[in-house]
Amino acid sequence: MAQAAVFQDQLASMEERLRTVNRLMTTKAAIAQTPKQLVWTLNKAKLYRYIPVLPPEKRHPIPLLLIFALMNRPYVLDLRPSHSFVEFMVSQGYDVYLLDWGVPGFEDRHMKFDDYTLEYIPRAIRKVKALSGVQELSMLGWCIGAILTTIYAALRPDDGLRNLLLLTAPLDFSNRQGLTFARWTDEKYFDVEKVLAAFGNMPGEMIDYGAKALKPVENYITNYCRLWDNLDNPMVVEAWHAMNTWVTDNIPLAGGAFRQLIVDLYRNDRLMKGEMMIRGQRVDLRRLRANLLTVIAEGDHITPPCQSEAVLSKVGSTDKEIFHVAGGHIGIMAGSNARKLTWPHIDGWLGPRSQ
Amino acid sequence: MGEGQQENTKSFDPFEPFREMRDAYLDSMAKVMVETVNTDGYAQANGAMLDSYLTASAPFREALEKWMVQTLQQLSLPSRQEVAALAERFTNMEMRLDDVDAKLDQIARLIVEARPAAASRPAEPAKSAAPSKSPDLAGSKASAHAKRGIAAAQKSTRRQSGRKSER
Repeated sequence: MAQAAVFQDQLASMEERLRTVNRLMTTKAAIAQTPKQLVWTLNKAKLYRYIPVLPPEKRHPIPLLLIFALMNRPYVLDLRPSHSFVEFMVSQGYDVYLLDWGVPGFEDRHMKFDDYTLEYIPRAIRKVKALSGVQELSMLGWCIGAILTTIYAALRPDDGLRNLLLLTAPLDFSNRQGLTFARWTDEKYFDVEKVLAAFGNMPGEMIDYGAKALKPVENYITNYCRLWDNLDNPMVVEAWHAMNTWVTDNIPLAGGAFRQLIVDLYRNDRLMKGEMMIRGQRVDLRRLRANLLTVIAEGDHITPPCQSEAVLSKVGSTDKEIFHVAGGHIGIMAGSNARKLTWPHIDGWLGPRSQ
Repeated sequence: MGEGQQENTKSFDPFEPFREMRDAYLDSMAKVMVETVNTDGYAQANGAMLDSYLTASAPFREALEKWMVQTLQQLSLPSRQEVAALAERFTNMEMRLDDVDAKLDQIARLIVEARPAAASRPAEPAKSAAPSKSPDLAGSKASAHAKRGIAAAQKSTRRQSGRKSER
């Protein structure tokens, strides 16, 4: 009798689990809920300003501009309430802005790093300065956003950039043996022109496949097994749902920028060699003089630590720091430990430099 | 006794050994796969697969594109390329508008700033109040025009405040 009751319980539990899995796979989690205001647009790019929660006298006067990668949605910085970097920084008194690149269309296939760094970022910064009423700012660049902010900071050192934070920044491509992406995109195996001739932009699905194929078992099997094992734990389930919503929301990368990423960086390491040209100007990292914090994820398989370490010896900044944190490419900012490790360190570094 | 029995039955998970076995297997598989994908062989296979797909689909894609262009032309409708070119022009115009917008904001700010100073010094010549360095974009063509605009606006403000003081 008792065993029959247990069996019935287990059947009911199984039904509930399947229902939860169905919900997680077929719906999108409520993400990016920190109140914000759209303050500027250009083409598909949008600049948001987050509504402050502290009175003006308790806020930092220097605004913070967040710049995320080109091929993913930036709302990973504001994933869900009480697990949001943006919400945390706003609560610490920062005037936070977020530059959302939007989804490039066929008409944007020629857009290059040149356009992002010399047309979009300077205009967004101009708007940030106008709205904040100050002539200085801090910038945080994550992944390819870190490449863009580094190039901008080196090309426009007198534009008022006081602090630069680089998260998992893929800047050094000299160790080709240690970079799986470099191997895959080698000219022997990968014809970048053929891909761009076919698609115009690099399709989001292909980028997603590339990122997931670096750790195929974890991404295609273990991820779902862990979810199945924790379906009774609402905290794990909601965190998984939010992250899955972000991971499956892929966007293409503009063709011109993709070509530069592969040819100039992955194949020829032009940024670190000082050979990268942006609209005829050489990107000289010694001209980057902003205070610099580089955050490195020790378990990062997309941007291994070796890609972010060498930049410190190349830049002209006198105030520079490197911060190693346990975790993966996204986990260090959106994982369960981000609130305890990464965010407080960023706040601790940026706070005194934002007065 | 019955309750105790039930607790024991509930705490026993028949899938636990299976789960442990599964995790151990996945861990070892994960290590093998990470090593596999980081080889030249995998890169070559991946590249070959993509290349053959692109080569095989190219004639169909090109034929479809040609047919689409011809059809749209016959229907007097713009092609994808033409719409894309138009979108690029829109973006350029948007940039120019953004620059003009920023300049206007700056002019308005300078006018507000110049008013009290001009009111207190009505007889000062125009030279003393050169426009402050603007946070323009480097290389912006609009900047020279805008600077002339700022200077003109300041002069006109000064003239107006001069007239007020004369009265």
